[in-house]
Amino acid sequence: MIELVDVVKRFGDFTAVDKVSLNINKGEKIVIIGPSGSGKTTLLKMINFLQKMDSGKILMEGKEVGYHRDAKGRLVLEKQEVICKLRSEICMVFQHFYLFPHMTALQNVMEGPMTVKKQSREEAREIAMDLLGKVGLLDKKDVYPAFLSGGQKQRVAIARALAMKPMLMLFDEPTSALDPELVGEVFNTIKALALEGMTMVIVTHQMGFAREMADRVIFMDNGRFIFEGDSQDVFSDRMDNPRVKAFLDKVL
Amino acid sequence: MEVARYKLGVALATLSFLVLTLFAPCVIAAQADRYEILAEATRLANEGDFAGALELFHQVPAPGENEDGGVFVRSRMEAAKIYFSMDRYPESARMCGEILAIYPDNLEAQNLLRQVKAAQTPRWVRFLKDLKTYLPTLLKASGMTLVLVVITMIVSPVMGLFIALGRISRIRSLSSLFWCYIWIFRGTPLLLQLFFIYYGLPPMGLTLEPFTAAVLGLGLNYSAYLAEIIRGAIESIDPGQMEAAKSIGMTYWQAMRKIIVPQTYKRLVPPVGNEFIALIKDTALVSTIAMVELMRAADQIFNATFNIFILVQAAIIYLVFTSIFTVSFKKLEDRLGVYENR
Ligand SMILES: Nc1ncnc2c1ncn2[C@@H]1O[C@H](COP(=O)(O)OP(=O)(O)OP(=O)(O)O)[C@@H](O)[C@H]1O
Ligand SMILES: [Mg+2]
Repeated sequence: MIELVDVVKRFGDFTAVDKVSLNINKGEKIVIIGPSGSGKTTLLKMINFLQKMDSGKILMEGKEVGYHRDAKGRLVLEKQEVICKLRSEICMVFQHFYLFPHMTALQNVMEGPMTVKKQSREEAREIAMDLLGKVGLLDKKDVYPAFLSGGQKQRVAIARALAMKPMLMLFDEPTSALDPELVGEVFNTIKALALEGMTMVIVTHQMGFAREMADRVIFMDNGRFIFEGDSQDVFSDRMDNPRVKAFLDKVL
Repeated sequence: MEVARYKLGVALATLSFLVLTLFAPCVIAAQADRYEILAEATRLANEGDFAGALELFHQVPAPGENEDGGVFVRSRMEAAKIYFSMDRYPESARMCGEILAIYPDNLEAQNLLRQVKAAQTPRWVRFLKDLKTYLPTLLKASGMTLVLVVITMIVSPVMGLFIALGRISRIRSLSSLFWCYIWIFRGTPLLLQLFFIYYGLPPMGLTLEPFTAAVLGLGLNYSAYLAEIIRGAIESIDPGQMEAAKSIGMTYWQAMRKIIVPQTYKRLVPPVGNEFIALIKDTALVSTIAMVELMRAADQIFNATFNIFILVQAAIIYLVFTSIFTVSFKKLEDRLGVYENR
């Protein structure tokens, strides 16, 4: 469905993502693990066009999207409308939620459909109520984010992304900012989504969750994919990659 | 016994004679020539012998029926003036009263009497009277101050927002243009800008009414200040907000309008409130370009009356304005902050 080919991102001399290729199939759940600073967030942001890649290709349904080349052969992002259209189909859930603080839970979820998709208030409201019900927060619909717990905020953020009816959801450490007792409710929400067949790429440090969810686990280090395999491969004793082993020993 | 009685008789006769011969001429002279008394008294007054002069003035009798009262009026008037100059207000008032008893329409006496009465009332009573007299003028002028403040309060945030958005936009030329604008209008005195607009533009072919010039000067100046405040507020919003808005497909401007700018409102209230309070006071500067507002009116009245309390009164009006603003901005801040957990 979406394919990355030799994607590179540099910050000055530093290469954050180094020739990464990734094929995301419809309905697939990909979990990316790896130490801090390995380029996971940068990779997700490039899939969502929030970061501009320096070279490589992003294909959607086999077609190159999002970039064209200028006279000197450098990659240039497409016009804003094109990018926005793409972004609205690939939504991202952030570690720090980034809910809009001046809007209630319901308004947060309604905002995308209304502003981006130009849906009517009634339509947007219906979608939003439905999604808030799904993440179990219907009773908090008129509450401002500041009065929600971390877990509740993240569930609203998930509903806000879902309201765009995306074909792909990107989760960047969705539970890292949460108190341990709140992690479960967010995972359950994501799991329920997975059961519905949503395609997703999840960056997490929670190995239990990775093992349970992943169709495919990718270990990333220094901007590269060091190891790729199904969850049995990664978490079994047969795991022989020393870098992965060392990392897993530390976090498990 | 006989001898004694005789002697007493002689003594009395002699005494009467002496009295008669000594004083009669004076009395006769006074009746005969009040003009001379007046002249003599005036001479004494000119020489500085006020006590002597006053005594003589008093000797001029009231005119009889069908008699010319000119000398009498003159003498009492002069006496009244001398008393007035000596701060002996009751005597001065009595002199005027004597004239007015006979000639109620005498303007000179009426005037002096009014002055005496004014001098007799304590200063603070006079000042209070002035305050009452000039309050309507001051209030009318402060209406103009308020009009200037309100117009600037509407114009400058709107323009400030546009300038701020231009400053942070990635269009270089726009950003530099507004940088220059802010650089100039924040870096020079408002007074100079007002002078330039009002006195400097006409030679270039653009003559403005004082009001237009004042609104223009205040608007341009305050837009520059507000632009910087608004820019700071926008930049203080977590960049994650822009990212989140973009991640669901919003354009830059949609994100600005719906997500970023609304979050700045509450943060803007305190600094913008400060600016507006400064604005209330800065309107006083437009008095220099022929605008009659509170400061100018107070200044004019002060120059006419030398009544320092007029300035106090103007200060109180300014304080009322600034206090109302302070309170309403606090209220507004609380209202805009409902979504915050405190
Ligand atoms: N905007 C940026 N400018 C410069 N360097 C950046 C920028 N964003 C990320 N980097 C660098 O790129 C590298 C990868 O960052 P990234 O956030 O993708 O790591 P990560 O794998 O998500 O780490 P973490 O687990 O801590 O979230 C880091 O070394 C980081 O310092
Ligand atoms: Mg990260």
